[in-house]
Amino acid sequence: MLDATQASKNVASVRDLKVHFQSKRGVVHAVDGVSFDIRDGETLGLVGETGCGKSVTGRSFLRLLPVPPGILAGGVVSFRPHGPCAVCEGAGCADCTNTGRRASGDQPIDLLSISSENMRRIRGDRIAMIFQDPGKALNPTLTIGAQMSEVFLQHRSAELLERASLPPDTSGAVRRFAAQEPRFGDGLILKFPPKRGQRAKLQVALNQMVTEALAETQVPNPVKLMDRFPHELSGGMRQRVMIAQALACNPDLLIADEPTTALDVTVEARILELIRALQQRRKTSVLYISHDLSLVRRICDRVAVMYAGRIVEIGTTEDVFANPRHPYTRGLMAAVPTAGTARGKLAAIRGTVPELVDPPSACRFAGRCPYETAACRRNDPSLLPVAGDHSVACFIDHPTGSQVAPSFERVTE
Amino acid sequence: MSEITDSNFDKTAVRDTAFRVRMRRFFGVLQRLTSNPTTVVGLVLIALMLAMAIFAPWITEANTPDAYQMPRDWGAVRKPPGTPGHWLGTTNEGGDVFYGVIWGSRTSLQLSLYVVGSTMVIGTIIGSVAGLVGGWVDEVLMRIVDVFLSIPELIFALAIAAVLGPSFTNIIIALAMVIWVKYARIMRAQVIQIKQNDYVDAARVIGDSKLNIYLKDILPNAVTPVTVQATLDMGNVVLIGATLSFIGLSEAGIAEWGVLVSEGQAGIASGRWWASTFPGLMIFLWALAFNLVGDGLRDALDPRIEGR
Repeated sequence: MLDATQASKNVASVRDLKVHFQSKRGVVHAVDGVSFDIRDGETLGLVGETGCGKSVTGRSFLRLLPVPPGILAGGVVSFRPHGPCAVCEGAGCADCTNTGRRASGDQPIDLLSISSENMRRIRGDRIAMIFQDPGKALNPTLTIGAQMSEVFLQHRSAELLERASLPPDTSGAVRRFAAQEPRFGDGLILKFPPKRGQRAKLQVALNQMVTEALAETQVPNPVKLMDRFPHELSGGMRQRVMIAQALACNPDLLIADEPTTALDVTVEARILELIRALQQRRKTSVLYISHDLSLVRRICDRVAVMYAGRIVEIGTTEDVFANPRHPYTRGLMAAVPTAGTARGKLAAIRGTVPELVDPPSACRFAGRCPYETAACRRNDPSLLPVAGDHSVACFIDHPTGSQVAPSFERVTE
Repeated sequence: MSEITDSNFDKTAVRDTAFRVRMRRFFGVLQRLTSNPTTVVGLVLIALMLAMAIFAPWITEANTPDAYQMPRDWGAVRKPPGTPGHWLGTTNEGGDVFYGVIWGSRTSLQLSLYVVGSTMVIGTIIGSVAGLVGGWVDEVLMRIVDVFLSIPELIFALAIAAVLGPSFTNIIIALAMVIWVKYARIMRAQVIQIKQNDYVDAARVIGDSKLNIYLKDILPNAVTPVTVQATLDMGNVVLIGATLSFIGLSEAGIAEWGVLVSEGQAGIASGRWWASTFPGLMIFLWALAFNLVGDGLRDALDPRIEGR
């Protein structure tokens, strides 16, 4: 499917991902055969309207689907976890194209089939996620410091012990504290000498790591912030905390699920700048899920447009915005109001999004499409390249597309 | 970044931070609690009755051999309040009403602590399991809870206590068996609601284990209604317990408010109001105090008004 050189540039590849939801009226094909790559260090924008399956796609990277009623009906999400570059130890050199990190194994792993224990190791460490509403994504009963600590305790206990100048083979309650595997009675053991001092050292080391992570997101006075509870912070500050937590372990892939939707516009711009700056410095790949075209155009290297559980068009931001090929993409762009749009003349795509319960074998956009032909109602167009990096799933560009196997392996439940 | 060694780090700084945060929380809740006058009344009443229970042996000399048995002064039966040595009067059998009132607070405290403490733990565990595991486990546990809830509390407790035989310990057991279902229900509803929150997903996203997510994200956010219910039950349990004692499911002669009301009620018609009134008043005050505080606590612990 992919040649070796191209594969080595992808941090993750999604192939024919299908996520279904069991509902009372039938099986909802929320994500129905989605394939795309996320390349090393790029920002891929995933655009689409509400309910098109973009969030579900993003969440499937972390296997964060409600099961039941969610069903992973098929597909592969392969991911190549990276580690610090062996040559330069993370400083950046020619060998690792100045990123300071390198794929740790040649063999990508399938995120959908690995054990939950392995999944846990990847979550927060190699793949991180920022949520839409930072007000809801922070535990109201924990301080920012305690909350930020979790990620280090979970993935960086070795570094923690080292910073606290404790031997790496420390065992017992102290070790369990550093690795966050508390056992009944550990709290008591750590309250009294001789373990009390070690516990305090770990806490200082932990606070240090948290402060450093928070400082990266340019929050004023990170030390003071650690004692705060989420409700005492503004939305922008909370999102900065979320970003700090997400990027704390220097992940290879960051999934940003509409991270600025809940924020007001001025804060939004600063948060975007921050994500952009951190990403460029660390060469993290970002999957940016959004419904805001102008925003995606501003920050993404490539764009994938989703419609009704499918990717209908994917390409570099320049290509897609300068030369949109799919009628849906064109409709979306026409719908963006500009300064020249007359009052009361907002463009819209006619019709509504189709039901995704047991969809027929036809183009999902048929019925709303101004260029609809008979072929569109009988066959399902595949995503095929039109030029270089630009692919589109439409019969306009691929008149022969009807001969392409109409929507492979449909699962029928 | 420098290495942390024994010499260069400030232990007090660490301790202070955690301590300060905890104190801030505690005083925040306390402040909101005390800003409500009715809650303050409840708190004062509870404080007084707790003091009564704690200092009972110093207020009136303990009866021997069993302090929870009413002392009998056969030389002074049916004395009205104000009688020297028996300033709240005596019962038909020469029991000192004042002694009963004071030591009855101990019995009541025992009753409510044992019942509420055990049911809270059992209910929380069962409710959490049902909410977290879901599926048929939830189904089975909740149908059992339904069976328990389908019988009125008092009648059910009465039946169990009657089967077990008349004793104060059996009243505790009977009440615990009846009340745990409430906590299981509350906890299950809480867990199901809280586990859908984004912050639980966020904890999963950073790779937290299930146990950690339960202990740090779900449980602390779920306990508020359980705490409130427990406070209310501290009062209600005494009310039901007194009812059971009143109809004779407790040992006769025990220093318990319900038993005393029962002993005294025969004399009310003949004008000896005191033997029933004072213990009855205590039951009323006890239930009132915990209900007032429970209501106040509900408001004070509401995370939505936190920080206002």
